[in-house]
Amino acid sequence: MPMYQNGEVDPAVKALEARQDEIMRKLYELKAAVEGLAKTVTTPDADLDLTVSSSLSSQVCSSSTFKGTTDLDTLLGKDLGALRDIVINANPAQPPLSLLVLHSLLSQRYRVLSTVHVHSSVTSVPPQLLSCLGPRHADSYARHMFQLGFTLIWKDVPKLQMKFSVQNMCPIEGEANVARFLFKLLAPYPADPAAATLVDSWLDTAFFQLVEGSTKERAAVLRALNSALGRTPWLSGPEFSLADIACYCCVLRTGSAASAPANVQRWIKSCENLGHFGPAKLLLQ
Amino acid sequence: MTKEAVQGATEEEQQAQSKKAMKKQQKEAEKAAKKAEKQAKLTAEQQTTEEDDFAKDRYGVPAMVQSQQKLDRELVRVQDLTPEKADQLIWLRARVHTSRAKGKQCFLVLRQQQFNVQALVAVGDRASKQMVKFAANITKESIVDVEASVRKVEQKIESCSQQDVELHIERIFVVSQAEARLPLQLEDAVRPDGEGEEEGRATVNQDTKLDNRVIDLRTTTSQAIFRLQSGVCQLFRDTLTNKGFVEIQTPKIISAASEGGANVFTVSYFKTSAYLAQSPQLYKQMCICADFDKVFCVGPVFRAEDSNTHRHLTEFVGLDIEMAFNYHYHEVIDSITDTMVQIFKGLRDNFQTEIQTVNKQFPSEPFKFLEPTLRLEYTEGVAMLREAGVEMGDEDDLSTPNEKLLGRLVKEKYDTDFYVLDKYPLAVRPFYTMPDPNDPKYSNSYDMFMRGEEILSGAQRIHDAQLLTDRATHHQIDLEKIKSYIDSFRFGAPPHGGGGIGLERVCMLYLGLHNVRQTSMFPRDPKRLTP
Repeated sequence: MPMYQNGEVDPAVKALEARQDEIMRKLYELKAAVEGLAKTVTTPDADLDLTVSSSLSSQVCSSSTFKGTTDLDTLLGKDLGALRDIVINANPAQPPLSLLVLHSLLSQRYRVLSTVHVHSSVTSVPPQLLSCLGPRHADSYARHMFQLGFTLIWKDVPKLQMKFSVQNMCPIEGEANVARFLFKLLAPYPADPAAATLVDSWLDTAFFQLVEGSTKERAAVLRALNSALGRTPWLSGPEFSLADIACYCCVLRTGSAASAPANVQRWIKSCENLGHFGPAKLLLQ
Repeated sequence: MTKEAVQGATEEEQQAQSKKAMKKQQKEAEKAAKKAEKQAKLTAEQQTTEEDDFAKDRYGVPAMVQSQQKLDRELVRVQDLTPEKADQLIWLRARVHTSRAKGKQCFLVLRQQQFNVQALVAVGDRASKQMVKFAANITKESIVDVEASVRKVEQKIESCSQQDVELHIERIFVVSQAEARLPLQLEDAVRPDGEGEEEGRATVNQDTKLDNRVIDLRTTTSQAIFRLQSGVCQLFRDTLTNKGFVEIQTPKIISAASEGGANVFTVSYFKTSAYLAQSPQLYKQMCICADFDKVFCVGPVFRAEDSNTHRHLTEFVGLDIEMAFNYHYHEVIDSITDTMVQIFKGLRDNFQTEIQTVNKQFPSEPFKFLEPTLRLEYTEGVAMLREAGVEMGDEDDLSTPNEKLLGRLVKEKYDTDFYVLDKYPLAVRPFYTMPDPNDPKYSNSYDMFMRGEEILSGAQRIHDAQLLTDRATHHQIDLEKIKSYIDSFRFGAPPHGGGGIGLERVCMLYLGLHNVRQTSMFPRDPKRLTP
């Protein structure tokens, strides 16, 4: 029986095609579900496959990521009626990826007013640096409605610098130190001094040896990461911490991801599955 | 006495007299001899002068230029005198900045605005001794026409703007002679104050400079300042025109005081009197109600304020903006701040030479800004001041010292010399300011600051006739006097806002100068009406 009679498709063929499409669709759905489950199984601590859900909505709340209560008033001093504005001066040649990640975590926890400025010492910056903190908040015309301000200024500075309370605090320099400050707004450092030191030690390793080190030093760090990740799922133990954020961003920055050893590769995928590193990855494109 | 004695005495007298007479005669003879010598010398000199002045036609004071003839002579600009023109014979017209004779040579510095070049007349086959003497005696500031050949120099001439060449003069004529005694010396006028004190050399005080403005404006610093000011005006116009704004002209003779009675100049107007406009406010708004949507105007503003401060003038140039907006007055703030940022960028990128020239005499920190402009709320500003120890109420206005302190605090935290303070308390703003929709204590108004000093006061204006009448009554303003103003809003008025800046103040603060009279060509203040 020919398929086309009088220039029209045979209805029987149409029905067959429809059934075929339906089966294909179900197969794809099944495949996606299995892949999602597979990722969840291989990622320690993940409640759900965030890479899928994060593509569906931009407001993913992963409040379970950091446990422990923090109070802005205790940490930053009493609210005197003015927006508590954290000012970060960064050089556009070295964007601080870990701070962008911490910013998105802060935005999920508090009402953060984020603004990006270009200082007059810099002639121009690429557009992705202007939008690196995400779209402008709808209420950004009313500064007093926010709990925290995050002002990123692209400026010709030799070293990254943070200013908060000009009267009571001297400026904080270096991405590692600013990362420590911002992290403490999310969760307290581990109470156990050994654990806290471990986190600090990874931070320093990441920023000094991985980013600023020679090829030899970098290779050594990757080996160290590999052996640590062989023992525990995350760098400082069973829980995701600032150490993981910092090391992941530095690995990304130095472009060592592709050539990293096995445990590190697995850990990189786990990090990505958590969905926090979107801003950092976007910037490097 | 005996006759003989008397005779003797007379003889003595006679002898004395004749001695005197002889002395006198001798002296006269000497005098005559000297005179004769001199005369002889002069005639000899004159003879030599007349004999040896082969260069008589190549210098002098020609007849005043009364357009006797149309010479097709090309005059080269001093700034174009570069090694490329080496060995060319050129004509130029410039001022004599200095002239100094040294034996058989005379060194001159010829100046044209910011540029100067070394020139030299030397006794040789082209110039005579008399010519060199003439050149050395030309008074400073005289305008001369010079024909010279351009020569490359081995060692850079550090003191001139044209460092790689010098002129060897063949002909020099004085087109306009300056009087010998100048009221001020240009070198003194350009000398930084500190240097003057240290080295014991003169500087010129501001009043002398302003009294002799024509000469003071010739200095490199003044030339740079006013070229930069011209740039500000140009950038203001260009930026706004590109944003779709229309330039308007508003009347300056008006019938009623716009801002609030006290500080207006009165003029006699035929049988009645009128006022000089304190700001183009009313007319800008009327243009918006007349559907011009976005307007700006550049024109004089007259404030009869008896303030003798470093930043007040009685007449200044106002750059004013007014625009209709869609839903929120921040659209207006964004437009104004973007215009200011474009002006700052334009100055930073195209006027570095002028900025450096001014900094030589008046050193200052370069002007810094952020893009987009930093906007803080009034409550934030008050909190920052309170943190620094200032005591003030929530609805108090900012005093000038507090404004300066806040400027310093903002500079320390954000490293910017330009920012906006938004949401001022309603109580301290004019009657036509739109109140905040949620909090009656505050208003939709803002001030902008440069280096801690206010340069712009603006707001969303009340576009509803009834609310305007209520607010005016609340401020105890005579409604009769502002009837035509309120009438403008009775026939459909869009929501709108704007603000105005003073050209002189913006230039002063951008360059980091300390007195607005330095950026006003012929300033007007309570004590100065001339030049």
